[in-house]
Amino acid sequence: MSNVNTVVFTIVVILFVFVTFIGFAAARWRRADDMLHLNEWGLGGRSYGTFIGWFLLGGDLYTAYTFIAVPALVFASGAIGFFAVSYTIMVFPIAFIFLPRLWSVCRVHNYVTPADFIRGRYGSRGLSLAAAFTGILSLLPYIALQLVGIQAVLTVMGVEASSTNTYVKDIPLFVAFVVLAVYTYVSGLRAPAAISFVKDTLIYVFVIVAVFYIPTRLGGWSHIFGAAQTHMAAINPATKKPNGAFIPTSKSVGSTQLDFATLALGSALALFIYPHTITGALATKRRNVVKRNMALLPAYSVLLACIALFGYMALTDKTTAAEVKKADNTQLAVPYLIQHMFPSWFTGISFSAIIIGALVPAAIMAIAAANLFTRNIFKEFFKPDASPRLETRVSQWASLVVKFGALAFAVWLPHTFAINLQLLGGVWILQILVMLVGGLFTRWFHRWALLAGWAAGMIYGTIAAYNVSSPASSHWASSSDIVFGHSVYIGFTAVVINIAASVVLTLILKAVRAPEGADETLPHQYTADPVDAPAPEPAGVGAAASD
Amino acid sequence: MTEPTATPSDPGDPQHAAATRRVNPVTAHPITSLAIGVLVTAAILGTLIVPIYARETPYIGDFPFFYFYLLIYMPATALVLWIAMLLQRRLKPRRPAGTDTAGTAGDPVPGGVR
Repeated sequence: MSNVNTVVFTIVVILFVFVTFIGFAAARWRRADDMLHLNEWGLGGRSYGTFIGWFLLGGDLYTAYTFIAVPALVFASGAIGFFAVSYTIMVFPIAFIFLPRLWSVCRVHNYVTPADFIRGRYGSRGLSLAAAFTGILSLLPYIALQLVGIQAVLTVMGVEASSTNTYVKDIPLFVAFVVLAVYTYVSGLRAPAAISFVKDTLIYVFVIVAVFYIPTRLGGWSHIFGAAQTHMAAINPATKKPNGAFIPTSKSVGSTQLDFATLALGSALALFIYPHTITGALATKRRNVVKRNMALLPAYSVLLACIALFGYMALTDKTTAAEVKKADNTQLAVPYLIQHMFPSWFTGISFSAIIIGALVPAAIMAIAAANLFTRNIFKEFFKPDASPRLETRVSQWASLVVKFGALAFAVWLPHTFAINLQLLGGVWILQILVMLVGGLFTRWFHRWALLAGWAAGMIYGTIAAYNVSSPASSHWASSSDIVFGHSVYIGFTAVVINIAASVVLTLILKAVRAPEGADETLPHQYTADPVDAPAPEPAGVGAAASD
Repeated sequence: MTEPTATPSDPGDPQHAAATRRVNPVTAHPITSLAIGVLVTAAILGTLIVPIYARETPYIGDFPFFYFYLLIYMPATALVLWIAMLLQRRLKPRRPAGTDTAGTAGDPVPGGVR
């Protein structure tokens, strides 16, 4: 640890201790009579208004991986990385259409997870299990990637470079994660909700300062864009092709407009069906809080656009670009840029922002995965008569298991592998789109057809992603593959296959009159806005619908 | 596959009966519903149709058009969704009317979009 900057290190440690204190204290925040209930531990009492909801959802949606990976992609390939900007714009009008309906029906029926809704809507345990399995599967690598984000910062700080031993090298990461796991166990969703205030404040300060200050150091925006354009057009000696594209091209293969659009649309459709974002949305107290936040959350997307531009700034700064190239890890672009541009004290604040920015979503993801396990696997298949207390206990332990599973991912697997599992996470979670969002609007789809469509999408997506190769690696090389001569996001193609299979099989199953399964929801419950949280015991049909 | 199929539940459930006796807000306010649908659809398409903005020129300040467009589109989306939300409030019936329209009063927005 000889090359650690004391000022940076001290500030990061102080802020980490501060959020740890908040994480434990959060257990007493807005305390309920009976904390041993999944609505409390897993959904923070379903009580958050617009203000807290905004911080919680913002802290939940924009992960440290976004802060690290999006600029890394821009640094490496140029304009295609801005699909993330397009996607975080598109996601809000899309979620505005279906999320309020999901909120209402989950509120009326006391559903905690998306798989709870699918169980109730189609009366199908198999379909619900498929959704729960997909949710957990796609969250594990996503949590691991939060750790990869923290690792990138720690690497640049110099705290883990001193030893080649895997275990010694990752001790700081291990400590941070154990602390996170313990206060999530104790406080549940209240911990990330409270810490998100600190996270969001730090991130805003860091990004706003950086976006105004760094260009003055680099000769202004015209110089930054000019340098980026020159670099992207230059021919890479290894691949004999341009480094990237400064504007998405109208060709058929590469950084194309079609690839850009399908990546953005696919990711936008995926974001609000990820279990952790649904957890954040269900923690709000009124239907209107969800809607209002769809109009207020784009404020974060402005930050994301600025962060994406950091990729070009890192490219423009010669020292940063050289160091990233030397380390052969584009994820270090933003941490190195920060280190070179700012005085130590502000570098400390910025690094803390990214680290805390990773802890908040990691906690919510672990809670969401734990809730899926408890409600849709443990209770559904092993202990149907589990009491709310037992459910909460199981979820608490499951959240620990999930966290350590993710830690194993981050420490032992090579990072390129983890990143491609994130790609797969998006491809996988998209396969519950038809059953979840389709089910919010229509009961036309047959449950068996949805299951078959899900399987088709999962299989195609996994195989297609595995088969993508590049000069650098033989498998898992990209999130897009070539369909009919055009570059398209794999998740998008997989969803199209999923929809086609679901529609065709539904027509067939309806023709042969296969049994439909019972639907416990009623049409008006999709627009209901109950004032009171559901009763602790699962509510009966039609309970508390006041709209 | 337009409306959710009404599901048989306990016909004697008084809340069910009350809730199905409502005016469909979309048919009651066709112009407002259409406006909401157009706003939300436009917000999605304006960034989904990449050829609209995938160009380097004109430069706005130091920003190439592509980057400027994405940056400015976000506050625009926020504004559009806020207006859509305010318009949706106008769809809410003042009090449940006693007419016997079918009870599948879907969410006003998708009513306009789908």
